[in-house]
Amino acid sequence: MLTRVSNPFVVSEGRFGRVLVSFMVLGFLALIAAGVAAGLATQRNEEHTGWVNHTYEVELAIGTARRLIEQSEASRRGYLLTDNREYRDAYYRWATALPVALARLRRLTHDNPRQVAALAVLQDEIGALLAQRTRTIALIDAGRIDTAVALFRTEASVKRLATIRNGFGTMAREERRLLAGRDEAQRASVRAFYLILGVAAVILALVALVSLLTVLRYTRDLSRSRDSLRDFNERLEETVTERTADLSRANEEIQRFAYIVSHDLRSPLVNVMGFTAELSAATAPLAELLDKAEAECPQIVGEDARLAVREDLPEAIGFIRTSTQKMDRLINAILKLSREGRRVITPEPIDPGAVVDTIGGSIRHLLDDRGVALSVERPIPPVVTDRVAIEQILSNLIENATKYLQPGRPGEIVVSGEERRGRVILSVADNGRGIDPRDHQRIFDLFRRSGQQDQPGEGIGLAHVRALAYRLGGTIDVDSELGRGSTFRLNLPKIYEVQDIKP
Amino acid sequence: MNAHQSVGIVMIEDDEGHARLIEKNIRRAGILNDIKHFTDGTQALHHLFDAADGPAKAGPALVLLDLNLPDMSGTDILAQIKAEGSPLKRTPVVVLTTTDDKIEIQRCYDLGCNVYITKPVNYESFAQAIRQLGLFLSVIQVPEVEEH
Repeated sequence: MLTRVSNPFVVSEGRFGRVLVSFMVLGFLALIAAGVAAGLATQRNEEHTGWVNHTYEVELAIGTARRLIEQSEASRRGYLLTDNREYRDAYYRWATALPVALARLRRLTHDNPRQVAALAVLQDEIGALLAQRTRTIALIDAGRIDTAVALFRTEASVKRLATIRNGFGTMAREERRLLAGRDEAQRASVRAFYLILGVAAVILALVALVSLLTVLRYTRDLSRSRDSLRDFNERLEETVTERTADLSRANEEIQRFAYIVSHDLRSPLVNVMGFTAELSAATAPLAELLDKAEAECPQIVGEDARLAVREDLPEAIGFIRTSTQKMDRLINAILKLSREGRRVITPEPIDPGAVVDTIGGSIRHLLDDRGVALSVERPIPPVVTDRVAIEQILSNLIENATKYLQPGRPGEIVVSGEERRGRVILSVADNGRGIDPRDHQRIFDLFRRSGQQDQPGEGIGLAHVRALAYRLGGTIDVDSELGRGSTFRLNLPKIYEVQDIKP
Repeated sequence: MNAHQSVGIVMIEDDEGHARLIEKNIRRAGILNDIKHFTDGTQALHHLFDAADGPAKAGPALVLLDLNLPDMSGTDILAQIKAEGSPLKRTPVVVLTTTDDKIEIQRCYDLGCNVYITKPVNYESFAQAIRQLGLFLSVIQVPEVEEH
């Protein structure tokens, strides 16, 4: 029995593919997430750098403004103390630079309402400060230094300056606070980035691991199934060899059996026939005796005796004879088949067309008598097979075709051949009376015939043909329709291979 | 060769019916030679080679041999009779069997069988074959008669 190969690897191949693809998708998703995270993180980083720069710019601007205010204050005071024109020039230099610095600071902080408010307050103070200074400078210019000094003493310049310094300090602190917040956000984003990167790495590692394991398992499965397949193959070959040996042994046994049976059956048949002849011979003197008795002494001849001698005995002997003769023919047929099975096949190149021509020549008179036309549809591919066997097959088929004609239709037999994948199919087609589909298999059995039994024969020919076809490694079948004709197809290997398997 | 002895027929045939039919037909053919019947090979061989009245010790004989015997194959007996150095080497052997297998027939002739007759089921031809055998027997008997 062939054990059905369980095929887990075929199933797992699909599952394997799905698993692998899903892991790859997962891996790619992780990679994309990592990439996106990296992009976002870089962007955030740039933004943050921008903000840090901004903060420094603001701080710088604050510092510049403060420095300008302090320096201009120092210059004013120098001018006030020394009346040196250089202090005055320096003062103007600082004083003209201050609005530019303030404008820059305003521009930098315009998006922050708190800074804007702080700056507005500062500007009021700075405005007042500047106005006071302008007055001091003007007084000094006019030579009224005493008035200017008196005014300086009364003015709250120091307090105002402290307020301004405070204001700038507040602004700087505010900027620092913002920077700290942004730093915190930046650190969070970096943390998130590293987190995403870590998760992606873990996922990738997992995917790689699982994929590797899957591939390994799959490979292991594959090699295991390959091994089992190989084992199975080897077992199969062994099994086939064994079975073939068994078969040829059985076949030989059957042939030997058929031979012995038919042989041993003939022995008693010789006796039956011989002693039937003795009986038959014995009836002659009995009949003579009866005749004599009837002539000389009719009263002793009973009706029973007369019937027995004149009718019953000859009839019985006749039946015994025909039956034994038939039995002899049947036994001979079995003997012939069994001999055919034991005959050595000698393959040689054969042109089936030429074989048909030879057969046509040898049964020419038969064809002419029955008015049958035999033709060969060339070309017919050559075969390498046993000449005797193929001659017997074809002549049996052709003779059959001449025997079973459709009444009223001249017989036509066409032999053709074709090659198909290392095999040659020879067809013998006729337009005879056809064969009932029920009998298409039966006709190849020994002693079985089909249709009207109006032709002599024992039902041996086709059985013989099939045995020969099998012997040549071929098959035979029939395609037929009642009243239309039959086509017998002999399917033979193109080149007969000697079966060298010994039981 | 003992001129006063006629040719004895040794029939080796396991089937009583066949033996009877053969004998009847031989007699019908007018052959009156003594027929010794054996149903197995062992006894037949003993008679042929060892018995005091057997062909090896006493006079010429003709062997009618069936190939299917219960204890041995008829070809074995044939081979022994026709073997080199056998005292019966020249004894005519008629093989009478149901086998009409060509190979078997050839083998018998190769072994030295003089005539091979297939027992036909058709009794007429069987009887005819036996009668022809009778003629054959009388032919080989002729020199014996002439020597008288």
